[in-house]
Parts: sequence; structure tokens; C-alpha cells
Amino acid sequence: MRRKSLPEIYSIEVNGTKDIETTDTETSGKGDGKGKWKKERLRNHKDKQKELKKDLDLDDHKLSTKELEEKYGTNIIQGLTSRRASEILAQNGPNVLTPPKETPEIIKFLKQMVGGFSSLLWAGAVLCFIAYLIEFSKDKSASMDNFCLGVVLIVVVILTGIFAYYQEAKSTNIIASFTKMIPRKAFVIRDGEKREIPAEQLVVGDIVEIKGGDQIPADIRILASQGCKVDNSSLSGESEPQSRSCDLTHENPLETKNIGFYSTTCLEGTATGMVINTGDRTIIGRIALLTSSLGHEKTPIAIEIEHFVHIVAGVAVSIGIVFFIIAICMKYRVLDAVIFLIGIILANVPEGLVAAVTVSLSLTAKRMAKKNCLVKNLEAVETLGSTSVICSDKTGTLTQNRMTVAHLWFDNQVYQADTSEDQKDQVFDQSSATWASLSKIVTLCNRAEFAPSQESVPIMKKIVMGDASETALLKFSEVIIGDVMERRKRNRKVAEIPFNSINKFQLSIHETEDPDDKHFLLVMKGTPERILEKCSTIMMRGQEQPLDESTAEAFQTAYMELGSLGERVLGFCHLYLPEDEFPDTYSFDVESMNFPTSDLCFVGLISLIDPPRSTVPDAVMKCRSAGIKVIMVTGDHPITAKAIARSVGIISANSETVDDIAKRLNIPVEQVNKREAKAAVVSGMELREMSPEELDELLTYHSEIVFARTSPQQKLIIVEGCQRQDAVVAVTGDGVNDSPALKKANIGIAMGCAGSDAAKNAADMVLLDDNFASIVTGIEEGRLIFDNLKKIIAFTLTKNIAELIPFLIFIIAGVPLPIGTMAILFIDLGTDIIPSVALAYEKAESDIMNRKPRHKKKDRLVNSHLALYSYLQIGILQSVGGFFAFFTVYAVQGFKPDRLLYLRPLWENDNLNDLEDSYGQEWTKYQRKYLEWTGYTSYFVAVMVQQIADVIIRRTRINSIFQQGLFRNKVIWVGIASQIIIATILSCGFGSVPVLNFTTLRVQYWFVAVPYAIVIWLYDEFRKLLVRRYPGSWWDKNMYY
Amino acid sequence: MGCWKVFFSFSKKGGCILSWFQENENEGNQLHSEDGDENEAQATKQQSLAAKMQQVKNYVWDPEKREFLGRSGQSWSLILFFYLLFYTFLAGMFALCMYTMLLTISPYIPTYRDRVSPPGVMIRPYTSTFAFNFNVSQRSTWVSYVDSLHHFLQAYNDSIQDEKNMNCTPGQYFIQEGAEDKEKKACQFKRSFLGNCSGLHDPTFGYSTGQPCVLLKMNRIVGFHPGNGEPVKVNCHVQKGNKSDLKSVGFYPEAGTFDLRYYPYYGKLTHVNYTSPLVAVHFTEVKKNRAMVVECQLKGKNIQNNITNDRFVGRVLFTLNIGG
Repeated sequence: MRRKSLPEIYSIEVNGTKDIETTDTETSGKGDGKGKWKKERLRNHKDKQKELKKDLDLDDHKLSTKELEEKYGTNIIQGLTSRRASEILAQNGPNVLTPPKETPEIIKFLKQMVGGFSSLLWAGAVLCFIAYLIEFSKDKSASMDNFCLGVVLIVVVILTGIFAYYQEAKSTNIIASFTKMIPRKAFVIRDGEKREIPAEQLVVGDIVEIKGGDQIPADIRILASQGCKVDNSSLSGESEPQSRSCDLTHENPLETKNIGFYSTTCLEGTATGMVINTGDRTIIGRIALLTSSLGHEKTPIAIEIEHFVHIVAGVAVSIGIVFFIIAICMKYRVLDAVIFLIGIILANVPEGLVAAVTVSLSLTAKRMAKKNCLVKNLEAVETLGSTSVICSDKTGTLTQNRMTVAHLWFDNQVYQADTSEDQKDQVFDQSSATWASLSKIVTLCNRAEFAPSQESVPIMKKIVMGDASETALLKFSEVIIGDVMERRKRNRKVAEIPFNSINKFQLSIHETEDPDDKHFLLVMKGTPERILEKCSTIMMRGQEQPLDESTAEAFQTAYMELGSLGERVLGFCHLYLPEDEFPDTYSFDVESMNFPTSDLCFVGLISLIDPPRSTVPDAVMKCRSAGIKVIMVTGDHPITAKAIARSVGIISANSETVDDIAKRLNIPVEQVNKREAKAAVVSGMELREMSPEELDELLTYHSEIVFARTSPQQKLIIVEGCQRQDAVVAVTGDGVNDSPALKKANIGIAMGCAGSDAAKNAADMVLLDDNFASIVTGIEEGRLIFDNLKKIIAFTLTKNIAELIPFLIFIIAGVPLPIGTMAILFIDLGTDIIPSVALAYEKAESDIMNRKPRHKKKDRLVNSHLALYSYLQIGILQSVGGFFAFFTVYAVQGFKPDRLLYLRPLWENDNLNDLEDSYGQEWTKYQRKYLEWTGYTSYFVAVMVQQIADVIIRRTRINSIFQQGLFRNKVIWVGIASQIIIATILSCGFGSVPVLNFTTLRVQYWFVAVPYAIVIWLYDEFRKLLVRRYPGSWWDKNMYY
Repeated sequence: MGCWKVFFSFSKKGGCILSWFQENENEGNQLHSEDGDENEAQATKQQSLAAKMQQVKNYVWDPEKREFLGRSGQSWSLILFFYLLFYTFLAGMFALCMYTMLLTISPYIPTYRDRVSPPGVMIRPYTSTFAFNFNVSQRSTWVSYVDSLHHFLQAYNDSIQDEKNMNCTPGQYFIQEGAEDKEKKACQFKRSFLGNCSGLHDPTFGYSTGQPCVLLKMNRIVGFHPGNGEPVKVNCHVQKGNKSDLKSVGFYPEAGTFDLRYYPYYGKLTHVNYTSPLVAVHFTEVKKNRAMVVECQLKGKNIQNNITNDRFVGRVLFTLNIGG
């Protein structure tokens, strides 16, 4: 970002004569051999990005009209010829932004199909088909079981894929509606005549006319302007209208007044300009390109889930392979071993988890939308929760984005005005006569007016015609005095000099409202020093006193004090014109100034500021107690930025900057130990000089940082700097200029009201009310969902062991298979889905806003404690319960446990139709098969019953379930009911469908596993009790997940 | 450029994290770092690979802290001791549950018999394919059947039956009152009842002459009264093939029934010497060199022989193909 090596690339590109990419390819073409092409592409990409990150280089604003005509081959009066225009159009392409490359829908869809566990399931399906083919090749009448299972697996993969895809598409669609493009028209002079053409047909060299209300159709160099003002806020972040003229006012093309930028709006006046850049080569276009060239960081939750998938897949594959080998060693057929492998994989993969997580995230997203956080990307929900740094915009996010009266100074005293959103609470002393005079000046010396017909609108929401300061004063006086317009009518205005930058004051002369008083009243406001110059007296408690040294000093102190608060200070003075010199027939001439403008009476100062939103200080406090660093990044002046930062608590009351320390100790700034200062205010200029290492140091050692006067590209640098510190960075922004930073951030937050479409596009989240406090509620939700996802995963993982152990026992002890693959699928995708989603509704166990943001690398979603506790403790307990149910059902039918051991070869022999049980009864193969399904059902029911206990214990990780409130989360009970209902339907209703392998189970065997469910619950309560009782103990370290 | 910094910073691992899972996400981060020269990128790659290996090694055995897989010896022994306790408790609980459950189950009569009835039927000699393919003139093709039958019928030898079992009244159920755990008497089913299929007169059971014997045995079910008072009868016919190929079939005992006196069965604990009654089917005149599927059905009041899913309940199918 340092400006050292700025080639004239940009202006060359404007001419369209040279293609940077090809030149770059040529120069870097010396790469050796193999990976040459790839490297080139990489470098190209990087170069392009580097180039884009550079500040703009453009010199059209320095050229004279003549030179411009020459450069672009046009004529200012006649415009381009149609032929030339169409030539250029053909050469440069239409004046539109290339939309960012969208991933094709089909690719998105396929990604859902192969991502995560899907690949394991695909492998399972393929193994199924292989097993079927092997069987089929041996025996044409082989059972279709494996084939069916394969098909079912594929259906499961496709269904969950479609589900995830649908959820994602749904959340993206919300945003798509934001970015509808409206076709625009432009007035252009071609062939010497004015015509209206679609804006996209504009070419470089076209002469265009714009008027108030138009959007500027391309980057234009202003050639003539009448009072033209533009709103550049989307580009530069400046919230005030900028005037545009044909004069060169600044070296920097972004600052100079004679360039109008594509997509900014002309607010008032008219202008004529020459198009100098179109489409992607405009400033906006370049920012858009930069944005789309930035890779999006993977969201923390995506990383967490990937991590989790790795763990589970690792467990599945390793157990699978180990038991494949064991099976082979135990002289099972390869085919059987393959089938075992399928079972083990299936048992290990939590098929329903993806759906449950997606649903939970979208539930949270909905909840956040209610709190004005609209989430574009589902995963962003959790990212917000793990945020450790917020880079916040000032204007509009932290502040109300309107000037407001903050302080008054009269009678040698500073009064504070109410700057809250409704300003109802004005408590300063209004009894002084000075205030009466001051209020009169404020009302009369003001050109702002309320727009007509809004009587019913509250004052603060009324639309005002006039500039920001005058609006503030108008509303202020309307609130305190009431009906300003009426008062102005009574004090008829006879003459007026509006504010201009040379005078630096505004003046008007009024008749007084007392009809008998023939005096004229001259009122004036302007920059304080200018006003003071014109005064010889000062008003104190309604009395005019001569302006002596001490009062002048008091004025200076007040002025400095208010100025140091970052406020815009205005001075007010008046003069009753002597009746004899100025009779009521006197005609005032503002040109010749035939009235006195000196020896006036100074009345007071009023200072204005864009005040912080009232909810912000609290929200910043919350962030601080939540361990989140709030960094302010603004384009505003350092002083204002610092003042606002102080008032909202970004710089806390007792912390000092280097400057403050220097001032306090009365030593030069250089001698201050930088580490001593907690706070830092860094301007864009200083930032430009910093090396990345210095920036790192700054970010590490100062906990309270304000960046002022920063450019859009610097915002990106700041974000990258924070990310180097391993922080999860949230960035707020509204302008187009913010979009690269929004994209680069771990979570980009765009403003819904003030935000530009580009910002909303680049962001992951849109704040509907532009309020910083909404971010904090969002963070709370995000942290909650992380905790709840942990619970969901713990719940889901537990039964995987209960599904896996049967296969292992089946292989090792040769018992009939306790649970079939179909039943496993029905647990994963049937009974367990709703309870796991219900866990997403769980309330927080303690104040989640009082702990530090989770460390990306340390506080994992799935850690080994969670896995061990779920797998090796509760999971094993569940398996034991399941086996108890399984053995019970077999025993009551005649096969006692001892008979079942190593029975498998006989049990599964299709031709053995008189297998003896423990009582000497003889069973046909099908009778055994049917009994086996009864066994599946019993095991299934046992797992279901224990999962009820599991969902209850998973509601809390440390608190007792009674502390959490047994019935506080009603959805949990819906989930439990769903478990029972689904299991009942499967067992009774579908008992006759052979493929599903369920049978009806006698009522009493539904309760076999209940003791185990109770043990699970008691054990977990015991665990939580010990964790609560002995924090930091061995138990806490090993048993808390 | 941030990627390798990231890389080193995470080597301070929390004991709870399995290191090999971390690698992946680090790769993920690297993919996204786009600044920095490609040489640097390459260097990073090598560096990270070496560091990764070192990290894995360190995780497996950390010589400094003397830790294996992130736990010290004491920590390992504590955790293992905990799991030992936990699993001992579980095993105890499981054993207790099983013991209680088995207490509630009678050792003499199964709690439910709904899955095992109606009874299935099996044939002897036992073949794995239910196909009798043999050539009369080639002894080796049928000798296994004959051996199997001889072996099976040992228990039915008249001498053994005379010695162990009693002679009961035919035509009625042999119901034995008394305590559940009292030993029950069994009725004699002598080998000689099987006449020409007994192997006593023709030790080749007719296989050497192309008139093979096949024995039918109804599956035992405790307490089951087959036929509900009328003996269950056996009937065989050609199920697939030319009906006329099977000209005549003889049965032993001559009625072709399972006599009522052999029922009910009281379970193997008390009905120690029980021998299942048999019906021998003698295919006396079969067309040679013709494969046919023979279906033998049981017919009786509480017998089912048409369950679609189970081809062995109340019926049995087998293929006969006698070469000649």
C-alpha cells in the first residue's frame, strides 16, 4: 500500500491500448518447465490484486479542457460523433460492471453431494453394489438386500444434499432481492445534439449532462457546473454533500472537485462532464473487481465442522479397516468382511447431523433477522459468535448520522444539550436572558425549513431542506422553543447574506416582532473566531458588557474545549440597529453592505456533532466484557473520531493515548513509552508509513484503537493485520469503498439502510437498522449457537457408538446381528432429527457475554473431551442398554445368551431350517430372520429410549438440568414426543414392510432399556455436580466438554 | 504472508486437541493466503511439512514433558483407572440385569413361541442344496446320503429306543401332568417303523436301486399339539416338472402321518430322550434322468404350508434327479 512504485498502469489501461495481464505474462514467462503455467497464473492473479490494492492513479483532473478533447478525441460542444461512439463502444465494451463470477448452481449442488460425510456414504453405497455384484455373480437369486441398501444410501446422500442446497439457496435469495439493477438513462451530446441513451451505451469521451437526482452514469470530469453537489458517501464515506466544479482542487483524483464518480448521486444543481472511464474501469468498477478477486476466508464453523468430519471419518475408516482385517483373520468370507465394513461406516456416520446443523443455523438466522441482523450466509451466524475484533465504521453505525447540537456556551458557562435520538430531555438553564437572545439568533439566522405537510411527523423525523448544521439548529430550536416558522414570520426578514467559504459567516436582518419597536435586528452566525472579530461587546445574563481580555480568554477556553471534543463550533452575535440611522423604511443592500458588520454583541457558542447512538456505549461495554476488541475505522478527522470513541467507550474513560500522556507529563511525544498508552489514535497518513510489523505491534499492544482519515484500501490492510493476529474479524461498512474489507473480513456486516448494494453483496450479514447494538445481540446469538451446536453434536455422536458396537460384537462374538443398517438409518434420520434440532432452542447456561471469544485454534467445536465422553462413556452405556434389550428379546423367544454366542455360522445358514434353540425347539431360517428383525427393533427402541435420556442430559454441559429448568425448552419435549411417535409408527405400522426390517415389539420390551436411561441421566448429573463443585480439578479437566 | 505465522502460533496446543486434525485446517488457511512470492510460498510448504511432522512426533511422544499423546504417565494412569472403574461398574450392572432377566425366564418353557410356530419341516439326508443328484450305478454319487441317513438313524435304533423310551398308546397325545421341572418320558420311535426305509433290510435306503428314501422331520416346538387331535399327514407331489414322472410314492409309517403320541414336546431340559417322529418318503417309481422339484407338504389343522416368505414352514421342497 505504500505509494513507492506506482506505474502509470491505470491511465494506460484507460486508453485500452495495452493489456496488463498479457504484459505480465510475458515478463514472468521465464518460469521453468512444469508448473510454469500455474505459477504464472498465480503471479498474475497476485499482481492484479496488488495493482488493485494500490490507490488510484489518474491524471485527467489535471488536464485542461483542450488536452482532454485531444486525449479522448471529442469535442466539448458537439460531443462524439455517433460513429466514433459506436467504435469506442465496440472497443471498450458497454458501460456496465461485470457481475462477479457466480458459482454455477449445479456446482454448488454437486458440492453439497460430495462434501463432508457424503463421500463416506458414497463409498458405502459403492461397497454395497460391489457386494451385491459378487453375490449376484455367484448366485443369480442372491438377495437384493445389499442392492437396496446401496440405493437407500444414495437416496440419503441426495436428499441431505438437496436439503442443504435448498437451505443455502433460500438464504441467498433473501439478498438477491436487494441487488436488482434498474436500467438507467443518460443525457448525452452526440453529433452536436442532446439525446437520451441507456447509460450502458456511454463511451469514453461522451459529453453528458447531469442534474439533481440523477445517478452519475460513469466517471466524468466536470466541465461546467451550476451549484452541483454530489453524495459521495458510498465511495468515500463522507456523509456530507460534496460540491462539484470544474476547478482542480486537489492532486488526488479522489479528493478533487472536478471529477464525478460512477454510481454516486447528484443531489442538486446541474453539471456537464466528459466521460473518462466506463464500466469496470471506473473507480467503483475497480473496487468491485478487487472485491471479487479477494478469496473469502473459510468461516470458523466450516472449519470446525470439517474438523469434526475428519475426526468421525478418521474413527469410521480406522475402525472399519481394523475390523475388516480382523474379519479376514477370523476366516470370514471377503464378501462378509465388506458388508461389515459398510455397517461400520454407516454406524459411524451421523447422517442426520448435516440437516440438524443446517436447520439449527437457519433457525438462529431467523431469530437474528428478528433482531435486525439479516444473515446472508448461514455459517456467518456462528462466525459472529466467535468474533474477537470488530472494525466498526463511525458514521451511521456508531453515530446517528446527523448533526445535532451538543453543547452551548453562554454566560461564560458550558451547557450540555441532549443528543439522544429524540432530544426530549433538554435540561440546561433556559431562564437566562442570554439564552433568549441566543435562541432568537438561532431561529432567525437560519435558512433551513421543514418540508411542507408533515405536521404529524415527530420533529426529529421531519424532513428538512437545508444543510446539516442548519437542520440541526432548526430542529434544536423547534424542540425547545416550538414553532420556529411562526416565529420567523413574526420577525420578517429584510435582508440576508448566506454563508460562504470566504465570509465564513451568515447574516440576516429582521424586523422585531414587537410592532411598536421599529428597531431592526441584525443576527449573525459563523466560525467563532470570525464572529468574535466582529464583536466589541459580549452578553452576560442579558446585559451587554465590553469584551475585555478575560472574557476573550474565557471564550478561547470554551472554544478550545468544545473543539477538542471534535465538535463543530459556531459563534452567534447580534446587533439592534439604531432606529435613527436605520428607520423602518431603510433599504438594505447586501451587495454594498450598507449596514454595520462590526462592533456587534457576542451572544454565545453552539457546538454541533454527529452524536453517538444512545444504545452504542452500552453495546461497546458489552463487547468489552465479552472480550471483543472494538476498533473504530473512519474517514473522519482524528479529533472527532477520538471524541466519539471516548463518548461511546471505544477509548475508555481512564485510558490515554500517547498524546495524552505527553500532554500530562509535559514531555515531547517521542519520549513517551508507547507501551504505556492503552489507547491509540492512528491517522491514515501514519498508517501509510507503517510496515506490516509495525501494524502488528500496534494491534497487539494497544487495546483501544481508532483509525481516522483512512482510505478504503487501508481498511483492508487493517483487517488483514487483525487476521494475522489470529483474530476473527467483523467489519462493518456501508459504502462501495468498504466492500473489499467486508469481503476480506471473517464476517462482513453491511448497513441495511445506508448501505450500498455493493457493500451488501460483499457482506455476510446485513444490519437492518444500521445499529451497532444489533451486532452485539447477533454476537450473543452466535455464541449461543456454538454452545448449542456442541450439544447437538454430543447428542448425535453418542448413539453412533451404540450403532457401532453391535457390528463389532457381531464379528467377534458371533451373535446374530443386533441392529440392521436400515434401523441405524432410521435412528439417524428419523427419531434423532427433531430432538437434535430442539437443542438449538436451548437457552444459555450462564452469561455467555461475560466470557472471552473462543480461540479459533483452542476452543474447538468438537474436542477430545466431548468425543471421549460421548463415545467411551455415554455411548458405551447406551450400547450396554441396547444389548440388554437385545438379549432379553432373544431369551424370551427361546435363544438364551449362551446359545447365541458363536451361533452366527449356523444362524445365517440358509439351508439349515431346523436350528435348535435353548429349549430344543427347531427354527427355520425365515423364523430366525424374523426373530432377528425383532432383535433389531428391540435394539432400536432401546437406543431410542436412551437417546431420550441423552437429549435431556445434553441440554446442559455444566448446570444441573433442574437449574436449567426442566420445561423451559418446550421444543425438547416435542422432540422427545417425536422420538416415541416415530418409533411406534416404525414398529407397528411398517412392521409388515419387509425391506425396513422392523417388527412389532411387545409393550413390555419398550421399557427394558429404561434403567439404563435413568443411569445415563444420574451419571451425567453426577458428572456436572462434580464439575461445578470442583472447578479446575482433575474431574473438571477431563469430564467437561 | 500471515500463513506461517499462523502456523507456528498453533503449536502451543491445548492438550485436548488431536494434532493431526489441525493440519488440515492449516492447509485451508494456506490456500487462502494469496500475498507473498511464490518462492516464499514454496518454502513455506516445505517448512510447514517438516514442522507438521515434528509436531506429530511431538504429540506422540514429547520428550521434554515426557508426555505420550499429550498425557503424562500419571495422567494416563489416572484416566485408565477411571475407565477401569467405569467399565467395571457397567459390566457389573449388565451382569446384574442379565441375571435378573434370566431369573424371570423359565428354563423349561419358553416365554413366547409365536416366532417359532407354525412348525417347519426338514428332510434327511441333509444336503446343503436340497438336491438329490445321483447315479444309481455310481456308488460314490449316493454313498454320502446313505451314510448320513445311517448316522441320523442311530438314535432310532430299536435297542436304544427300547431301553430309553416307553411304548405309548398310539392315536392320542401323550400328555404328562406334573411339575414343570419333573423329567418327562418319551415315546419310542423305532427305526423299524420305517420299514423299507429303515436301512435295516436295504442298507442303501433304496439309493442303489433308484428308489431313494427321504425322511421328513417336523420341527420341534415346546407344548405344540400338531393337528389338533388329528395326526398331521404328509403328502408329496411334483411341484415343477412333469407330474407323471413321479409314478408312485410310499410312506413309512404306512399312514404317512406323525402320530399324536409323540406330542407335545416338553423341552430339552426335561424331555431328555425325546426323539422326533419321522415320516419316510419312498420314491418307488421315479422317471430316471429327469430333474423334478418335489414338494412334500404337511397337512393338518394347525399346520400352515403356504407362507410365501418361508418355504420351510409346513412344507419342504427338494430336487430329485436320478441317473441311471
